[in-house]
Amino acid sequence: MTETDEAAPVLVVRREILVPRERVFQAWLDSESLARWMRPGDSTHATVSVDPRVGGGFRIVMEGPTHGAVEHRGEYLAIEPPSLLSFTWISRPTDHRPTVVTIEFHEQGAGTELVLTHRGLPAKAVEGHRRGWTDILRLVEEALTRG
Amino acid sequence: MLDQVYGALADPTRRAIVGILAEGEANVGGLAERFPISLAGVSKHVKVLERAGLVDRTVLGREHRLRLNPEPLREASAWLEHYRTFWDTRLGALEAFLLKQGPRPGEDRR
Repeated sequence: MTETDEAAPVLVVRREILVPRERVFQAWLDSESLARWMRPGDSTHATVSVDPRVGGGFRIVMEGPTHGAVEHRGEYLAIEPPSLLSFTWISRPTDHRPTVVTIEFHEQGAGTELVLTHRGLPAKAVEGHRRGWTDILRLVEEALTRG
Repeated sequence: MLDQVYGALADPTRRAIVGILAEGEANVGGLAERFPISLAGVSKHVKVLERAGLVDRTVLGREHRLRLNPEPLREASAWLEHYRTFWDTRLGALEAFLLKQGPRPGEDRR
């Protein structure tokens, strides 16, 4: 972890799955598997294309009645089976701005613990000033809780 | 809009102004006293923050009161909240998918 990493907005989600990590890892890079689980519950289907190599891209289009077709795309930054996967993630919710998803796969008995980190990358203009983000958000929270 | 918010916060003086306004209202003159730059310089920074929707200005006679508007900041980090639910649900779907698939031949089933 570098200092700049800590300063960007970040989200961490954990999950334990009772399946060996080789299989859990594989499910992230296989287009047929991804089409099955990488889509919201109300979506009818997903179209997935992946080029699973560092520098290769992926594209997932989730189709559903509520939001129509929602596209997510990105590029692989690190592929280290079965322990680490990292890719950029660009979508409408990220304002079509690149964010970075990193997943660690930890062996846990016969199963796997996934630690997914989703990190915001501020605009290029803010590079080198990322520390400002957390400070500002904290100040604003404090101001709001004071009423 | 987000680009304007990120751009406005790219500057350390403007971040400091946001920090001061997070503590309470101020006027341009009062702000200028706290920075080693000219009143015109501070005023310019305030205008950038106004354009990004981060600062509201109220004119009372000759006094210009400045107030922080935190809403754009919340929007700028709203994608995080969206993805908290998104990833939580997706990882649940991944688990269901893998468990349904069952173990592969030769795989240890404990």
